[in-house]
Amino acid sequence: MRNSIIFFTLILLVSCGTDPKTQQYNQSEKLQVAVVNYPLYYFAQKIGGDLIQLEFPIPGDIDPAYWIPGDKALTAYQSADIILSNGADYAKWMKNVSLPASRIHNTSGAIEEKYIKLRESGSHSHGPDGEHEHAGYAFTTWLDFKIALTQAKAVKDILLNKLPENKNELDENYNSLKTELLLLNELMTKASDLIGDQFIIGSHPVYQYLAQAYDLHIHSVHFEPNEMPSENQWIEFDQLLEKYPSGIMLWEDNPLPEVKEILNSKGIQIIVFNPCGNKPESGSFIEIMNMNIKTLENILNQ
Amino acid sequence: MKQSFYLAIKYLQFHRVRTLILVCSIGLILYLPAGLQKLITESETQMLGRAEATPIIVGAKGNSTDLVINTLYFEQTKIDELALKTLDILAETKFGYSIPIISIFNARGFPIIGTNLDYFNFRNLSIQEGRNLQYVGECVVGHSVAEKLGLSPGDSLISSPENYLDLAGVYPLQMTIVGILEPANTSDDIAVFTDMKTNWIIMGLGHGHQDLKNVNDPNLVLDRDSSNVTASTKLYIFNKIDGRDMGSFHFHGDMNNYPITSILFVPDNHKSATLFRGRFESGEINEQVVVPSIVVENILQNIFRIKQIFNTVFILVGVATLFILGLIVILTLRLRKNELNTMFTIGSSLNKTVEIIGFELLIIVSFSVVVAFILYSFTGIFVEDFIRQFII
Repeated sequence: MRNSIIFFTLILLVSCGTDPKTQQYNQSEKLQVAVVNYPLYYFAQKIGGDLIQLEFPIPGDIDPAYWIPGDKALTAYQSADIILSNGADYAKWMKNVSLPASRIHNTSGAIEEKYIKLRESGSHSHGPDGEHEHAGYAFTTWLDFKIALTQAKAVKDILLNKLPENKNELDENYNSLKTELLLLNELMTKASDLIGDQFIIGSHPVYQYLAQAYDLHIHSVHFEPNEMPSENQWIEFDQLLEKYPSGIMLWEDNPLPEVKEILNSKGIQIIVFNPCGNKPESGSFIEIMNMNIKTLENILNQ
Repeated sequence: MKQSFYLAIKYLQFHRVRTLILVCSIGLILYLPAGLQKLITESETQMLGRAEATPIIVGAKGNSTDLVINTLYFEQTKIDELALKTLDILAETKFGYSIPIISIFNARGFPIIGTNLDYFNFRNLSIQEGRNLQYVGECVVGHSVAEKLGLSPGDSLISSPENYLDLAGVYPLQMTIVGILEPANTSDDIAVFTDMKTNWIIMGLGHGHQDLKNVNDPNLVLDRDSSNVTASTKLYIFNKIDGRDMGSFHFHGDMNNYPITSILFVPDNHKSATLFRGRFESGEINEQVVVPSIVVENILQNIFRIKQIFNTVFILVGVATLFILGLIVILTLRLRKNELNTMFTIGSSLNKTVEIIGFELLIIVSFSVVVAFILYSFTGIFVEDFIRQFII
């Protein structure tokens, strides 16, 4: 018995692997951090600063949620020391590719119970499996700025785990970001007070967390900013408007002028509330969010 | 002496068949104990090496030997499956990281191993040709698989159906080979590696099919309303995945309940390993947690016992062979009575005659040693087969 305990201990001593998470990068090089969307890019950049090398290989004109990586982009993710995922089914491509699981970190893992379940695309059935649906969760979690703060904290904790010697710098950077996010939360709470019980139409179902966090009544259609909605989509829109009379509509980006005209003729004012999933052409995450809230306030105060 | 050696050679050349039989028999007798010793020693080194390089295996409760053999050597014995969510339970311990393994299916007789990229880092496997796994539906093959099947990156490999009589069961998936591994001299050489998700697609848990929103063929769509589309079984299910239809692939049900066969758990350090084992001992972790080296040691102890029996048998066979060799020499001398008389008549001394016969025996034994050595040097090649046939 004694011999087997000694043997077991020796075996463990010999075979305990070094955590690949700490093994993968050379201390002289920067920690490589790959992210799946712009909010996480912003959080990691603000917290990690010069201590990390950020990888965000997603082209600017694509919604990262629906992007499918090419070989080169995927190689960048595979070779990163840390892969920051958004959770809530964001970036479905992650399900269909091979990634080193030990390096993937779900930044919203701590608030999984707050995920909003979707049933947006309908279900279908074929073969013996019966009915099933492909929709999962709403994923623009960061539009609830308290969740955004949780995600930022997760980013800080992950970086701290890798760079414990830089604790003070990481803490300081995180606290600065925390202040910004808490301010956004405060501003949005005030804006929601102005909105009150008004119904809001969303051009796309991306505002679920905003609605949940700030007690807003947002009902969405599937309009694209750069497309004229089809006749059926307008019918659907009118039906929604009849059910939930509203004077404001949130858009991810400015719609086509003719769409804007039609909406104005229906007494609807357009508010661009950019979820900022991808890098904006100008400005930062905080600046865009501030602008979103300001636009909302301006329209409501008119 | 030179003349005696010449005469001995000439004699053996004249009786080629008999000489050959003697050389082979003595060669085999010399080789067998040494060869078996080498096979067992190398098998032991190889098996223990792999087991010792694997700190902890977690699997469903059941036969620990089957679990270890399936996980380390990819011998696909039927073992109970775990749910994927076990990975989360292990991750919560924060004692290390987990590498999932699915070892159920095979392709042309070689085990398909579903895992993730951590496995390649953990085993220090590098790609000799092509690239590593990137997308679902791809596979990377071990060096021996590529060599035996003549495969190279860009070729395809089709998973074998579990049961040829079950037409509605698991259907074959055509996997694209994207890389060939460097030789590792372990079971990794005989494996076909895929992502776990590819294995789940083979199981039928995930699939890709035509986009039902765009299908109007009444033979395909049986019913459609605002929230549900019912398609017929004629709907085309992709049996090959490439970049174009990657987006259409999806998985059904709760992935947390998806099956895996085992988990390689890599603790951060010795303390973590001990604490992790402690959690298991206290019943906090319900699964089976085994230290592979202990299980493999037990397997090898049986082999040592068999080796001892074999050694005894070989000693007895060796002694019997020596007796037979003596008998052959005596009978040969009797057969060569007239020849020896002629030699004495033409003036050969007894010493010269003994010298000639001594040289004959020396040449036969020398060639036998060469045969034994050649066989011995080839023994290493069969270590992997020996392990598979006789040990696991």
